[in-house]
Amino acid sequence: MIAFRGISKAFGERRILDDVSFEAERGEILFVIGASGVGKSVLIKQVVGFIRPDRGRILVDGEDVTDFEERDFARIRKRCAMVFQHATLFDAMTCVENVALPLAKHRRLDQRQALSEARALLARVHVEAFAERYPGELGDGLRKRVAIARALSLEPEVILFDEPTTGLDPVNARRVDRLIAELSEKARVTSLVVSHDLTSIFTIAHRIVMLYKGKVRLIGSPEDFRQSTDAVVRQFVRGEAQGPFET
Amino acid sequence: MTDPGPDEPLEHEPSLPPPPRRAELGRLGEAAIASILAARDTYGLFVRSLYYTVRGRREPGAVVRQMYEIGNRSLVFVCIVMGFIGMILVYQGGLQTKRVVPDLSQLGATFLEVLVRDLGASICALMLATRVGAGIAAELGSMAVTEQLDALRLCAADPVDYLVKPRFLASVVMVLVLTVISSSAAYATGMFGAQLFFGINPRTFVNFALVDAVDVATGLTKCIAYGAAIPLISAQAGFAATRGSEGVGTATTHAVVRSSLAVIALDFLISGAFWVAFGDGSE
Repeated sequence: MIAFRGISKAFGERRILDDVSFEAERGEILFVIGASGVGKSVLIKQVVGFIRPDRGRILVDGEDVTDFEERDFARIRKRCAMVFQHATLFDAMTCVENVALPLAKHRRLDQRQALSEARALLARVHVEAFAERYPGELGDGLRKRVAIARALSLEPEVILFDEPTTGLDPVNARRVDRLIAELSEKARVTSLVVSHDLTSIFTIAHRIVMLYKGKVRLIGSPEDFRQSTDAVVRQFVRGEAQGPFET
Repeated sequence: MTDPGPDEPLEHEPSLPPPPRRAELGRLGEAAIASILAARDTYGLFVRSLYYTVRGRREPGAVVRQMYEIGNRSLVFVCIVMGFIGMILVYQGGLQTKRVVPDLSQLGATFLEVLVRDLGASICALMLATRVGAGIAAELGSMAVTEQLDALRLCAADPVDYLVKPRFLASVVMVLVLTVISSSAAYATGMFGAQLFFGINPRTFVNFALVDAVDVATGLTKCIAYGAAIPLISAQAGFAATRGSEGVGTATTHAVVRSSLAVIALDFLISGAFWVAFGDGSE
């Protein structure tokens, strides 16, 4: 479904990603983990063309999108939604208008129809009571769920989650986890999740990719990570302060 | 021991840091390249704003909202500044004129010509470059650093169509409207000052004799040019913002400085173009 082949990326003198390769299959929940600043978000943003790799290829359903022009990405962005780290709702719009925007733009629905569908999506993530509220009036958990409703609006095949549970209380974090798991089970949505949340990782991940110093350190199931003898991997997944893990 | 000549190398030369001139030149070069790239991006925004004006989404509400933000909210500030400037200019102009000729009957006519042809639009635009330019850069810069621009792209909404075009259209209209209103304020305070300082009768001061069609065309052209330049330059600065709140601050500074410079440069170019085409209007 999504394939990264030999991706390298540098910002100035600083090399962030160095020959990173892995694939995510349809319906899979694949977590990308690693230290802050290791390039996890940079990696997933390359799928929808917000950042371009210096080297390597990115394939979406076998189609090479690496050299796409901005206008070509409209098609990919319709299939690959993204939930940003800070929800990133538009402050000047109500929640329902935020969700209706991609419906109006991508599917060219008239405003009344777009708003009607947007309300149904808000109900799906249990925030329909806040439809007419502005994002600034909501807490982080609710904002994140509205952002997920917006991401679902185009019935995407892939959703890129950038730290979806960061800043949420444990209850809301587990609700987001359950939503991601349901999307995978019921709609066969592929989820590429950037996260540090160990509870999420070991609850819903099908597979995990660990990035360390710009390279893939380990790819495997949560069980593989639990059983790993690699001291760096073990220190990270156990969240220990002492050890060989360098940030 | 003999002193080595000026061209003879010392036996032991101390290792010196590279001359500072090279680093300074490098910084100058970087600034020049950044300015060229910003100008290119601003031109790109101009072309795309024009394109979306013809082909983009139709949402009059967005333009009206921006007209309120740019126009109504700037009105008091611009009128107060122009009011004071009107009085100061008439006072200083009257003092200088009296040194040469005792007759001040043409003071109002000359002041009106200068206001219509140049100062009305230019001073109003400089005020708006600070208030409106900073506002646009801060708003769009905040959206850039919080990934809202990426979220817009993800929704298939081009940020230029969605954010820049309404500000561009609103600014072109409202700079013209604000110039007319604030120039009227400047003329009114000038008239009051003329009576107060020099005893000039308001009926003598209000004199349209020196204002011709070329003066009006020059002023109108400047209003449109400034109205277009301020939001485009500010939007470019906002879009280029990176690195959180520090980046938004830098973008805001860039927007104000570049918009102000653009107003002065456009003033020079448009005045020059009209002078070449129509002369100085003294015939």
